[in-house]
Amino acid sequence: MTGFGATEPEVDLTTTVNGEEVDARVPARLHAADFLRHRLGLTGTHVGCEQGVCGMCTVLVDGQAVKSCLMLAAQLHGRDVRTVESLATGDDLNPLQRAFTEEHGLQCGFCTPGFLMTATALAERGVPVAREEIREEIAGVLCRCTGYEGIVRAIEGHLNGGAA
Amino acid sequence: MTALQPAPARTEATALPIGISVPRKEDERLLRGDGRFTDDVQPAHLLEMAVARCPYPHARIVSIDTSAAEQVDGVRQILVGADVLARTEPLTVLRPVPGAPKLPYYALAQEVAAHEGQPVVSVVATSRHIAEDAIELIEISYEPLPHVTDTLAALEPDAPVIHPGELASNLLVANPEGAGDPVVRLAEADVVVTDRFHVNRVTGLPMEPRAVVAQWRPGARELTVHSSTQVPHLMRKQLAEVLRIDESSIRVSASDVGGGFGLKLGIYPEDVLAALHAMTLRRPVKWVEDRMEHFRATTHAREAVHDFTIGATADGRITAMTNTYATDLGAWNSGFGSAQLSSVVFTGPYRVTDGYVERRVTVTNKTPIGAYRGYGQPEVNFPIERLVDRLARRLGMDPLELRERNMLRSDELPWKAVSGAVYDSGDYVRCLHMAAEAVDYAGLRRAGRGPRPDGRLVGVGLSSFVERTGYASARFLARRGSQFGAHESVTLRANRSGGVDLYTGVSSIGQSSETAFAQVVCGVLGIGYPAVRVHAGDTLGSPLNTGAFASRTMIAAAGALRDASLAFREKTLRIAAFRLSDGGSAGPVDPADLDVVDGEVVHRTDPRRRLRLSEVFSIAILGQGLPPEEEPGLEVTAHFEPPDAAYSFGTAAAVVAVDPDTGDYDIERFVMVHDAGTAVNPKIVEGQVRGGLVQGFGAALGEELRYDPDSGQLVNGSMMDYFAPTAADVPPIELLHTEVPSPVTTFGVRGVGEVGTIPPGAAVANAICDALADLGVELTRLPLTPESVWQAIRNARTARG
Repeated sequence: MTGFGATEPEVDLTTTVNGEEVDARVPARLHAADFLRHRLGLTGTHVGCEQGVCGMCTVLVDGQAVKSCLMLAAQLHGRDVRTVESLATGDDLNPLQRAFTEEHGLQCGFCTPGFLMTATALAERGVPVAREEIREEIAGVLCRCTGYEGIVRAIEGHLNGGAA
Repeated sequence: MTALQPAPARTEATALPIGISVPRKEDERLLRGDGRFTDDVQPAHLLEMAVARCPYPHARIVSIDTSAAEQVDGVRQILVGADVLARTEPLTVLRPVPGAPKLPYYALAQEVAAHEGQPVVSVVATSRHIAEDAIELIEISYEPLPHVTDTLAALEPDAPVIHPGELASNLLVANPEGAGDPVVRLAEADVVVTDRFHVNRVTGLPMEPRAVVAQWRPGARELTVHSSTQVPHLMRKQLAEVLRIDESSIRVSASDVGGGFGLKLGIYPEDVLAALHAMTLRRPVKWVEDRMEHFRATTHAREAVHDFTIGATADGRITAMTNTYATDLGAWNSGFGSAQLSSVVFTGPYRVTDGYVERRVTVTNKTPIGAYRGYGQPEVNFPIERLVDRLARRLGMDPLELRERNMLRSDELPWKAVSGAVYDSGDYVRCLHMAAEAVDYAGLRRAGRGPRPDGRLVGVGLSSFVERTGYASARFLARRGSQFGAHESVTLRANRSGGVDLYTGVSSIGQSSETAFAQVVCGVLGIGYPAVRVHAGDTLGSPLNTGAFASRTMIAAAGALRDASLAFREKTLRIAAFRLSDGGSAGPVDPADLDVVDGEVVHRTDPRRRLRLSEVFSIAILGQGLPPEEEPGLEVTAHFEPPDAAYSFGTAAAVVAVDPDTGDYDIERFVMVHDAGTAVNPKIVEGQVRGGLVQGFGAALGEELRYDPDSGQLVNGSMMDYFAPTAADVPPIELLHTEVPSPVTTFGVRGVGEVGTIPPGAAVANAICDALADLGVELTRLPLTPESVWQAIRNARTARG
């Protein structure tokens, strides 16, 4: 068994990332998080476990919060992808981002993009969510720094229009 | 970034903005996905490394055949143990175990690997995928050796000796300490309570795994290492020692670090390997730990077995405490080794004059143990506080009353504990009372334990603690052979935009030091908060310092920041005074009449006389228009070592409802009363305490790294199997603070980074045992799973027939 590098199967894909169309040829086994990070330079999406548990790599695909370490890059073909880099406009943080800083919802910041994208999907559902439900909804993203209180407060305030 | 309100003219140089919750400097880049973590660094022509690891707990390496792997397209280099032996020294240790022999530990295993996950072969290729493909093709023949994973079994006479070249048994060393005559006091005691307490092996589990990018420019003899580390300057020292090159050839840069918690203190084998590959290949090499590796190759924590004893008089005066404990080192001595602070605070906040503690460091065939938030203090709090409750029951006293009776009073501080620790100041009893009042302790006692209509029993538990934060001077560290100082260092440098660049070797690991450092500079200097730019964690520009661990950063850095800011301010005002007096033609101006208000120097009584800081700083930098005798430039470096450690303190109270049939329980309330001295930024303090508490709950309630004793394998080493708390798992937490300034630190700060990890285990266990007091249940093991509670209930019922 030799020559993996030369015979690595590749696939072509066309996808929309943060509003821009992207054409790429990638190794078939490249997962979506690595594609976003290392091919597109969108390093705000982080990788923490590659098992779909920690949630660091959460992005929006067609509006759904998904763990991009569990998707192949090829599966992004024809989809609409949004990452943390899409949230701010110019120099202005969006209301959710502002709520995170006001409520001290981040410390080391490694998990922050995962929570922001999870909360963005939650907000776009447009239904009110109680505090305890928020805790359940964001349980797919882990944080070891904050104890979650600031994160929950920020999302709660944002969903209820308080932090706009 | 929100600007602070412009400060009015101030009379007190340190009046602002210390004590205010300003927005964090770190937030904006992290919220935008614009942080720079190590894996975000992607130099051109990058190669990637993967590591083959020993699958056995203990094995002799018989042969390694890399021939098939070498044929894989894209593979650039393969290193084995012999390569590492020829080119490097064993990994050096930052905090050696006092009195212990060295266990030479190379970046790749030599003849024998001593734990599952120890690196054996490293491969560098054009991608991580290809490097891992190549590892699949490497044939390593192992001869499994007898192993031992249980801490106490490792100390038995028939246990296989893991390092027979250096040790006669698996006891690395025993470190005894004490004072008075505890043996006599225990013999005289009216009541003695004693038991064995098992503290679980856990991991800090930072969300960012370890990572390193190494680049070598041979012509310049320059090794640049980007690393996810808490200690860039210490890592530089260690890399120089291990790679046999001068420190001047090494730059270590940690930009953003995705959590450390003690696990990222000093070098690991993979740091050496990435550097070695990069230096021989002349190409940048990256290694990013995957999570399966993390569970086996990054330090674990806490595991210990404490044999704790308390003696007391019949009226409830504690007369002696003894604690002999085995702390599990794992297979090798990591940078910080197993926890050392269980000995320092083993008498807790109590008035104990006769005591003895012995730390028995034990080698096992498991992943090395290292520092983790608390570093021995959560471990020892569990036996102390569990036994205090048991003593109260034996004496027929209330646990609150027994604590109050034995707790040191404010006027007894400073107090030299039997370990030699000097508790600086505080009001321990006030915290105890505040916690009791907050949970309505008296009301709960009156209401009784139930059962409630649903059959559940109600209990309340307390845990009181003192916590060492920072270090008791460089002299203290020298006696223990520690390879770092007790000081911090900062450089302030003016720029022509009117701002101040602050350089620190403290990397940003989530502790918010960029924010807190800037606050101190603003407070002393008077400059606006946005005008201070913090450049953190790069050895290239920062003064040699110690690093971000031991809740010590602010304790030491506050003094360095104050001293640098005062000197910087004085020179700024001298230059401004000279310019405002127009060389004397506009009338003399005394620098003492000037103040810095946001971006300007302003005359206190004649505010028309003012000068923009950008103008003052330009004068200094250009050297044009300086007062006679004044040196050009405006840059100050200050170093500061606090005279002693500051001890934080507090009490936690838990209220639980327990189902006596299943052992399942709910934590209905958890109140934490805590004193961190002067809070530079209250919001950051709250965040640190809450974050520590949730890690503390994780370790106390559910987390445990389990090894199968027969196979020696880690059985739950993945995120799927190791249960770190999610947002839905956190009990309700109420925080209360007191603020007694420490007399041994600048501004009276105490450390705050680790305290939350300390009380959850004992407070919750005490509450459960209180609820089940009629059954005589005594919990002695962490974690407190419902299954373990059910088992304890069953055992108690069996014992009572």
